[in-house]
Amino acid sequence: MYFAQVLINGILLGSVYALLGVGMTMIFGIVKLTNLAHGEFVILGAYLSTVLAPLLGIDPILTLFITVPLMFLLGFLLQYLLIGWAMKKGSEPALLVTFGLSIILQDGMLMLFSADAQHIPVSYSMDTVKIGSLEISVLHLVLFAISLVSIAALSLFLRNTYIGRAIRATADDADVAALSGVNINRIYAIAMGIAMASAAVAGLCVGMKWTYDPSAGGNYLLIAFVVVVIGGMGSVPGTLVAGILFGMAQVIGGASYGLLISYILLLLVLIFRPKGIFGK
Amino acid sequence: MAKRRLKNDNVRVLDSLPMLIVCIAAVSALYFVCLTKLASNNTMRYMIQIFLYITMAQMWNLLSGFTGMTSLGQQLNIGLAGYSVAIATTKLHLSLGMGLLMGVGVSVVVALLMSLILYRMEGMYFSIATWVVAEIFEKLFLNWKYVGQGSGMTIRVVPYPRINEICVVALTVCVLAVAAVYFLLRTRIGLGLTAMRDDISAASAVGVNVFNHKLFVYTIAAAFTAVAAGIFLVNKGIVYPESGFSISWTISLVFIVIVGGSGTVGGPIVGAVIYVFLQEYLARFPGWSNIILGAITILTILFLPKGIMGTLQEKLGFEIFSAKRFSYSKRR
Repeated sequence: MYFAQVLINGILLGSVYALLGVGMTMIFGIVKLTNLAHGEFVILGAYLSTVLAPLLGIDPILTLFITVPLMFLLGFLLQYLLIGWAMKKGSEPALLVTFGLSIILQDGMLMLFSADAQHIPVSYSMDTVKIGSLEISVLHLVLFAISLVSIAALSLFLRNTYIGRAIRATADDADVAALSGVNINRIYAIAMGIAMASAAVAGLCVGMKWTYDPSAGGNYLLIAFVVVVIGGMGSVPGTLVAGILFGMAQVIGGASYGLLISYILLLLVLIFRPKGIFGK
Repeated sequence: MAKRRLKNDNVRVLDSLPMLIVCIAAVSALYFVCLTKLASNNTMRYMIQIFLYITMAQMWNLLSGFTGMTSLGQQLNIGLAGYSVAIATTKLHLSLGMGLLMGVGVSVVVALLMSLILYRMEGMYFSIATWVVAEIFEKLFLNWKYVGQGSGMTIRVVPYPRINEICVVALTVCVLAVAAVYFLLRTRIGLGLTAMRDDISAASAVGVNVFNHKLFVYTIAAAFTAVAAGIFLVNKGIVYPESGFSISWTISLVFIVIVGGSGTVGGPIVGAVIYVFLQEYLARFPGWSNIILGAITILTILFLPKGIMGTLQEKLGFEIFSAKRFSYSKRR
């Protein structure tokens, strides 16, 4: 029974970790960039939802209708105007630009929102559903639904739309895609926009489940890294599986050993399958 | 066949006797200032910081700028050194020197152990793996009772060294570090390292033993970073997991090397001086300091991608501490 409980909690929480990784894996796979500011993007998304929900008097989940387009636009502009420029100078300058962005964002949020830990309150955070002898938290179910819907929507978008095909073509070979008439810079900007939009959703989930503060970005960046590398860079299904593995490690290890287990898992994957479980 | 002489109009400054004398004079002057307490305690405190940052940044530069191993995990050695010094002095009542030596020992052993996993990885994977290993150690120390778990340890050195003694030690470490990098780069190994940075497969194909070179450089960097960090943390008097193993150490080193000039021996020196003064100046604007540091980093990358020293070298055509043994001039 304990095993079933761990399995369920691991899967439910794992979807949130997968969502954290999805934005990162998009940037790795398509733009071929290590985005060190992803953690701060997530925290920014969390703050936006925290501020907007009471301001507009709506449910935190509904703030996504504002934060997702907003963050998409921000990501698009950031890539189009700044990171794309740095990428012309090589991959290391671009990496360091995202590094600079992350410390700017972190301290910018510190000044705007203070260092106090924040939380997005929801009325059902303590409720549970009983199935047999299993106890499942309603909050976890909601987070699972949000994450899964977002990841599924992204997968469908990548598979079925023109832009989605252009994105996948760019990920496979940017030069050939450019020769076939794909505007690479725009695709990169759209990919960054999607990554930031997914960070907005992930931020909402993080804020509903845990407390966060401006300096928490580094932790979530590292989680996203771990999930992405275990799953294989650029692979959305791989990220989902890795997220669930990560979630189980958290549930089994608890607060003190959960991260340790997942880091060791990561090192093992790096040694034995350096391209990740689902990597090509 | 006419023998073409290489025209040496890229003047490499340390090669010439006058500059060597200037360097020796500058270092002796610094020693003199430290030993005779000519400088006030406050000035000395800045000097210590500058010397230690130069040492640590020079090592990051050796890894990233010269070898292409961009480590995001230098804080691993810093934390290990801090805890070693704390355990040696506070728990075992050894002298500071023994503590520093222990820090170096522990760092080197961990670096050698890490070779099992780290050296298979390149580029981004290496960066992530170094950071993750540092995080693993942070989590281990957070759960380890002997070292005080989350609240950390105070470093009590008896007798506490006078500030000018610390200054002399820091200066010595700094000079040794710069000299080590300078001379290392001019040996056969140094050529191998820059070849690996430029193209690792090609370097391996022409007979550079990639694994040995990486292990060697990584271990040297670990040792020097550990000494410098040990001295730094003695000055702070406390070490706890979130401070010792914090990524912010590496952020500072990246800033120093990028602004000063990645892949130049002079870069970290210039960068460290700028960083220490900038940090002091920015302390007046609480909250803004990292925003400004981040903005400077981004602007440097966009407009001066080679950093201050790299750009100066290109514009003026001379190199202080050149790593090259000879150079072709661009203008014929």
